[in-house]
Amino acid sequence: MNTAMKIKLTGLVTVAAITTSLAACSSNPTHATACSLPEGPNLERAISAARFDLETGCEHEFDAYFQRLLTIAEGDPKKENKASFSDFLLWSNDTGLLSKRQARELYNRYFGIKYVSLVSDYSVCAQTCPHQSDVMRDMNRELADKEQGLLKISADRLNYTRASNLYQETELVLEATCEACGPIE
Amino acid sequence: MKIATICDWKGTRNFFKQLLTGCLLLPVGAYASPTAPTIKLFPTTVLEEIKHTGNVAAEMETGLQGVISQLDEQQKLYLGSKCEGNEGDPGCERIARQLGKSYLEMLNIMADKLPEMETAVNATSSSLEKRIRKELGQKKTSWTLQELLIGAESGKSAAASQPSLRGRSGMRLSARFSQYYKLVSRSGGKNNSSLAVIASDIYLDMQETSSLIARTREEISRATLMEQLNQSFGTITPEMQEVVAGVKAILFGEELDVMPMAIPPAGPADHGYESALQM
Repeated sequence: MNTAMKIKLTGLVTVAAITTSLAACSSNPTHATACSLPEGPNLERAISAARFDLETGCEHEFDAYFQRLLTIAEGDPKKENKASFSDFLLWSNDTGLLSKRQARELYNRYFGIKYVSLVSDYSVCAQTCPHQSDVMRDMNRELADKEQGLLKISADRLNYTRASNLYQETELVLEATCEACGPIE
Repeated sequence: MKIATICDWKGTRNFFKQLLTGCLLLPVGAYASPTAPTIKLFPTTVLEEIKHTGNVAAEMETGLQGVISQLDEQQKLYLGSKCEGNEGDPGCERIARQLGKSYLEMLNIMADKLPEMETAVNATSSSLEKRIRKELGQKKTSWTLQELLIGAESGKSAAASQPSLRGRSGMRLSARFSQYYKLVSRSGGKNNSSLAVIASDIYLDMQETSSLIARTREEISRATLMEQLNQSFGTITPEMQEVVAGVKAILFGEELDVMPMAIPPAGPADHGYESALQM
């Protein structure tokens, strides 16, 4: 009797273990297969693949996926790419991968003319001038991202030129303004 | 002794390059005067000071242009007479002395005009500083500052009215004047973004000019003495010829610096895709 009970119990435990393992496999795909970055030159197909992966356990790799999509888009520069990235980021917000603010900043960093590096709540004298060189360095990095987004991905030379001009003007005006604000106390 | 003189000439050349380009910015403010901008960077007091400084600068510029042309001619004569390497030649010595006299004349004009110039520049710089600090430094965040620079229209048609000249690099003086005039007249007095840039440009020029004037005034007495002593030698060195070439470049713009990209490529206004994420 005891032996029969033991066999039954062992059987149940085995079944439970197998079931648990199978369930784990379906909800947590292995890293190598599920989180492989999209390949190929087709942006829309790459975005679909990225969406699937990001929805099925690879959300921690969002930055890598986004960078890969940018690289793929460089292979076929056109104005429509801007809309594709906008849709992708909106989707990322809808699915909870990014906050609205993160999505907006990411989009504008690459495809906007204005510099998200310049977002601030306080006056130029109080907040920006004490970190003028850092601000300019951040803007310079953002200009490189705009070059990728606007020029290399969207073939939008006009807006890239405007972003570049804005950088130069901001540099000049900040230099004068911070000089006028006086030394940091 | 000769080397000291050469250094003075070089300093003077740099001074001219920066001072004169700065001076030419001054009338721009005067043209901007009727604009009544929303951002009050150029109130009447500032404009009056700019106008006055512009007049003083123009007087100095006129006086200096004459003597610099003379220096240029004398250098041509010196080179044309194959005086290089023939410093002992009496004719070459005579030309070198004439060159030295022109240099002394230039120093005298500067010594005469610089104090007034310095006062005017400092007053204008101080007024502009207050306006920039208040209007751009204290009333704006870095985000609203860039919104101002990019223009209220979010830049769709603002590109066409962007200034076509930026920076403080040397170029042909008349051309610089012309370009700034076009910039201001094109803005129609409503382009605050341009005014912010112009105000910044003028202010930084003023700061630099003020510092140069102070340094130059300190040097003038010494330079005059050195050149007076040098007159007894009557020689000209290759370095001095280089200075004359530099002076020529300052006046006639033969040494054009690379201009920053300021005008977008010609093309239709962008009415393309606008994302819901656009800031």
